Amino acid sequence: MDALILLGSFAVLCAIGVPVAYALGLSALIAALWADIPLEAVILKISDGTDDFALLAIPFFVLAGAIMAEGGMAARLINLARVFVGALRGGLAYVNVLASSLFGCISGSSVADTASIGSVMIPQMVKAGYPRVYATNVTICGSVQALLIPPSHNAVIYSLAAGGVISVADLFLAGILPGLLFALCLLGLIAWTAHRQDLPRGEAIRLAEVPRMVREALWGLVTVVIIMGGILSGVFTPTESAAVACVYAFAVTMFIYRDYRWRDLIHLVHRVVKTVAMVMMLIGFSVAFGYMMALMQIPAQVTQLFLDISENKYVFLLLVNILLLVLGTFMDVAPMLLICTPIFMPVIAKLGIDPVHFGMVMILNLGIGLITPPVGPTLFVGCAIGKVTMEQVSKGLWPFYGAMCLALLMVTYIPALSTWLPSLFR
Amino acid sequence: MSARHRYARAMEWTYIGCMVLSGGAMLVITLIIPLGVFMRYALTRPLSWPEPAAVAMMVMFAFIGGAAVYRANVHIAVEALTHAVAPPLRRAMQWLADGCVALTAAFMLGFGAQLCHVTWFQTMAEFPGLKQGVVYLPIPIAGALTLLFLLERVWVGPPARDSIMYSDQPADLE
Repeated sequence: MDALILLGSFAVLCAIGVPVAYALGLSALIAALWADIPLEAVILKISDGTDDFALLAIPFFVLAGAIMAEGGMAARLINLARVFVGALRGGLAYVNVLASSLFGCISGSSVADTASIGSVMIPQMVKAGYPRVYATNVTICGSVQALLIPPSHNAVIYSLAAGGVISVADLFLAGILPGLLFALCLLGLIAWTAHRQDLPRGEAIRLAEVPRMVREALWGLVTVVIIMGGILSGVFTPTESAAVACVYAFAVTMFIYRDYRWRDLIHLVHRVVKTVAMVMMLIGFSVAFGYMMALMQIPAQVTQLFLDISENKYVFLLLVNILLLVLGTFMDVAPMLLICTPIFMPVIAKLGIDPVHFGMVMILNLGIGLITPPVGPTLFVGCAIGKVTMEQVSKGLWPFYGAMCLALLMVTYIPALSTWLPSLFR
Repeated sequence: MSARHRYARAMEWTYIGCMVLSGGAMLVITLIIPLGVFMRYALTRPLSWPEPAAVAMMVMFAFIGGAAVYRANVHIAVEALTHAVAPPLRRAMQWLADGCVALTAAFMLGFGAQLCHVTWFQTMAEFPGLKQGVVYLPIPIAGALTLLFLLERVWVGPPARDSIMYSDQPADLE
């Protein structure tokens, strides 16, 4: 009954359109009243949820990504990608996906990736003769890699939601191979469609231009070296590395690239504050919600429920994938991570699943949810930039869903893809 | 100028105040954390205050910014059902949702103020000048601001398209 009160009230509040952050807070309140728990405990948990130093990594990663994304980095990474794959049949589609891989190293956001890469690539692809819907689909699907490839602020959220016991550095390292595998699956699909649909061949880059293009792009890619190098060498904590990355990103954008106007910075900060404040408030309320879940022993009940269905971890992972794919179509990544992670943690501990591996499965799964109707922020942004309707895009997405599900299955059932790199650095 | 118009203008300025405070806090944190790293490694004189100061400012931008984000309608919400129902039912659901937000905001205001009162004289070891109650002050303030923004939404309606709230949209997404 306790679980029904907490989870049921949350579901009803979400269904009537209450913002998820407030729905989490209010359902925690309802559950506290039901279980006769002092409301002071709930407000204390909400305050606890936002005064953790590790949380600061989230705004810093978002800010650094926004500075690089809007400061001309996207165009330079696209140029770098063109050096490698631009001349192939379907070259611009390959470039789009590869640029997203590179861009994922600095942004960590699927929406930012779609907005930055899409606004450059979709018009170029359309001009070169690619169908508009195809160009939009390649862009939005490619952008999902950003959630996996470090630095990913969703990895930080997962680490916090798991109680801070999973190393952020491990999660960052774990995301590299699944991110690249995801890109490979999309590139394979493009190779298949390039010949079937007779996509245009790209133009080769003149050799003389290559050194300049590589040099310009490297300035931005050094950000990931600062972050990963700083964390892995023990020089910085993840929060400090993110803050240093912000200062570096600012210096590169304003003093080296110099194609971002100072007066636009105020709008950039405005956008970042909107995004970050929304996520931080969500985290604060989710801590109170998680506290009530723990008091009502909901994770233990869910563990028992899954174990009653099957004690096989592969069956459990399949069930989780199906559940998250369905829930992900309605809700964004951050709230889903904050709500589901504490519920699943005891189950994966019982079944012997590595939490780092499980984190990658969750993040990739929920990333796919970002491009599925009816609620898909990346899908919405892609449609706005590509100037196509959601119906048109959705019809063309099926082959891409196939490629993404293939990547998801491999990440789910080959744990070494996620655990091998972190094990090398332990 | 009607009372509604005056109230909407007051809320516009309140929104700007929230954003200036939150944005300013975020930029200050972005500077003091690298400063802490620099002092630790370059000058071997570690500072104790950047971390607690950054946390205090983070609480501020999370809640004050969070209230402003409510006015900007940026909070994540599940709208699949509300979009699928008939307009009269949608309006009823909207009223219900607004009532739920009001309840949560009132809770933040009342119990947040109580939390500040209880912790007002607690000091932090790393930053003795900062009282714990001050760190938590943004919670009741955010509750009050959310109620004010909610009143605007219900009484005046959604902010006009020329509001400063929408000035941050990139050109290609407008």
